[in-house]
Amino acid sequence: MSEIDYTKYRLKPESEIRETFKEVSSIFIISCKKCYKEFEIEAEPEYDKLLELLGEERSKISGCAEFDFLCNSYLTKKKLTDLDISNVETIGVISCGIGVQFVAQELEGKRVLTLCDSVPQSGNATSVTGYHGISLGLEKCAGCGQCYLNITGGICPVIDCAKGLLNGPCGGAKNGKCEVDPQVDCAWEKIYLRLKGQGRNLPGEVKLRDYGKFKVDERNRISLFTQTRRMQNFYGGLYPLERKEETENLSIEAFPEPEHVVVFLSQHTGSPAHSLVKPGSMVKMGQKIGESSGLISASIHASISGKVLSIEERIHPSLLKPSLAIIIENDGLNSVDSSVEPVSDLENVSKESLLELLKEKGIVGLGGAMFPTHVKLCPPKPVDTLVVNGCECEPYLSADNRVMIEHPDSILKGIKIVQKILEAKNIIIGVEENKSGAIGKLKGLDSSPDVTVASLKTKYPQGAEKMLVKKLLDRQVPEGGLPLDVGVVVLNVSTILAIYQAIYEGLPLIQRVITISGEGLKRKGNFLIRIGTPIEDIIDLCFDGNREKFLEEYQIKMGGPMMGILQEDLNSAVIKGTTGFTILRKYPVEVSEERECIKCGRCVEVCPMELYPLYYAYYGKKEMWEEALKYNVENCIECGCCDYICSSKINLLSFIKKAKRYAYNKAKG
Amino acid sequence: MLITKLKDREEIISFFDLRPFVFKCFGCKEVYFPEEEVDRLIEDNRNKITGIARVDYLCREEFSKVYIEKVSLEIERSGGVVVFSCGVGVQVIAKLLEEKKVLAGCDTYYLNGFQGLSVQDFNCQQCGECYLNYTGGICPITACSKGLLNGPCGGAKNGKCEVNPEMDCGWELIYKRLKKIGKEEILKKKKVLVRDYRRIITEKPVVKE
Repeated sequence: MSEIDYTKYRLKPESEIRETFKEVSSIFIISCKKCYKEFEIEAEPEYDKLLELLGEERSKISGCAEFDFLCNSYLTKKKLTDLDISNVETIGVISCGIGVQFVAQELEGKRVLTLCDSVPQSGNATSVTGYHGISLGLEKCAGCGQCYLNITGGICPVIDCAKGLLNGPCGGAKNGKCEVDPQVDCAWEKIYLRLKGQGRNLPGEVKLRDYGKFKVDERNRISLFTQTRRMQNFYGGLYPLERKEETENLSIEAFPEPEHVVVFLSQHTGSPAHSLVKPGSMVKMGQKIGESSGLISASIHASISGKVLSIEERIHPSLLKPSLAIIIENDGLNSVDSSVEPVSDLENVSKESLLELLKEKGIVGLGGAMFPTHVKLCPPKPVDTLVVNGCECEPYLSADNRVMIEHPDSILKGIKIVQKILEAKNIIIGVEENKSGAIGKLKGLDSSPDVTVASLKTKYPQGAEKMLVKKLLDRQVPEGGLPLDVGVVVLNVSTILAIYQAIYEGLPLIQRVITISGEGLKRKGNFLIRIGTPIEDIIDLCFDGNREKFLEEYQIKMGGPMMGILQEDLNSAVIKGTTGFTILRKYPVEVSEERECIKCGRCVEVCPMELYPLYYAYYGKKEMWEEALKYNVENCIECGCCDYICSSKINLLSFIKKAKRYAYNKAKG
Repeated sequence: MLITKLKDREEIISFFDLRPFVFKCFGCKEVYFPEEEVDRLIEDNRNKITGIARVDYLCREEFSKVYIEKVSLEIERSGGVVVFSCGVGVQVIAKLLEEKKVLAGCDTYYLNGFQGLSVQDFNCQQCGECYLNYTGGICPITACSKGLLNGPCGGAKNGKCEVNPEMDCGWELIYKRLKKIGKEEILKKKKVLVRDYRRIITEKPVVKE
């Protein structure tokens, strides 16, 4: 198929550039690395061409800066401030007209000159206007606001006819070629032939083109709206369809007890626990069966009572590789271990004992990262604020929402415990505004004045720690740093509930609330489920269809559709960090059918960490990880926005993960 | 950026008489595509369509080919194909399904900043001969509603355009910008610029086969 190189600019003719340089004594060059082209080489030739063309005069160039997507106003603005150009009077810009205009506005007071002409983008036509989509294809759209394609067989007369005629050919075509440009087919002849082939007639009556249809004010309004929306709360991010309505009003119910559980020894960041039981041992519910090992680790407990069948390797749902798990057969008795006892005399329990208790009860962060809570609550730096994360910005999931609606009092008590441990002055519960029920419940609490409930505009990934801290406190977590570095600890609401249950009920982390939602299900909802419940059990209970063909036609992700981890092995099981399961029909086009990057720039526009994801794929494909590291891959929060938006369906996250692993190994030596 | 609005309800409903197949493109994900409204329309006429596909980036021909293949039976049984997408998507499908009647369910508009990448306050018409050097980096073609190249028309009132009083007079902005950098004499010295429309024909982008 034919593809267009949509590169939007080229250097001005030599004579014109020479003339420009005659006038200036010194010039700083800013150049854009182009867009909408096959992404092959990193260095664009224009700057070198300029040097060559200038000869002696090149000494007038005082410096040069290259930008990716110069028209990206937010990122470019930041980078321009970083540039040391205070003494520069004249700036020469190599980019399309939009880039030049933007730089001229930002650096008002300096003389901004363009060294390029834009390349007319009319593509297959002779008409002035026309926009391509997110593709390198030949088709163009004028954005006229009154689509004529319905009467012209899908061929656009506005774009494809040199004269933009709407009511038939001008009569000037010769042998099917346009009289304005004999290289171009007569659009109306094409329209006629297309319609004839379908047995249709040429349009009889045609609505005149209404040039005032899309009013300037309206266009400006929508442009402004789009800019505001995109910058809302933070740069980047997305507004995926939420699909929460399917489960947000369903009360938490108990998931049927599994016949056996698969309790992984690694259910937390850090070293895996080591097993305290042997095959054949009888265990009780809540009994510690895995001892934490090392500084960053957590204990593991039996979520049912029964007999240990084996300790074997299963595919871990988050690490996606074989990992040791304790398999327990349910005896159906639910006999509770004697260690499950509420803390007595809570008032007088020391901070240290509380931390020890959280460690003993195996509490980890339930938002997904599973960082041991007792470590997080023992910060090496002073902390003044606790942020409770109730954003749950992933589509489909509503478990945290239900937890907030159904257990607000427990959450408040849990918060008080954490407050006691951290001695934090401020407590903010951040909830996205789409969870009005939860906000209402939390605000209705008779809480102390230092707990505030903040309603945040809904945007993905608002729930990411760094985004949350920035929005709520206007504090910027440093690159490669933690919220801790700016005096903040962030805990998920479900973690708070687990803390409450550990202290007030003595219950170790053996169950949690998860959402099961998606497509092709006979049951959806929010379930209180035992840790270790096999994924198979979930499919058996919820999936509506041919069980044999499940993995062929559907995909199951642990978590939401954005950050969720694709599960291939249904023998795996629920772990502490499971926020839910999303079951979706397989996409018509598989990931394997990804295409080459066309530098559409969408990934850069949606990355909330302000990274350039396209480079991870570009260098990743060539295994040039060292180069990829230059683009700060360690700052990536793996929110999946780039992967979701990619117009070439490139699995960007997989490259990011590989690059991160490379960085990790490198740091380790 | 291209965005879409649904065509009149009556017009869309009349499409269903064809027993069509429906493509819904949620495309570049920022098109304000009223998906839920379309879903309701389709739900009301469920028995009149042969099938529906929710896809993205319909404008990319290689993807569209795969989509069409996947639903070829339903398309074959249909009396036409209704496409809810921007004009680019509709044209791609029409090209790939030459024998079928392909109908557009949306009208398409464009936003400021396109053909760059981001939504912006600026536009570039890709005239092929950039004037920004003489105009302080403000484009007279897009910032002046008349696209004048040789100065203001004289119709502006209080700095506002006579065509649209919401809009600033582009030439007044140009004058002020040039004055700020002490280069307003450019306006006196420079000869009148004439736009060379032929560039549109002679300097087309490269098409690779």
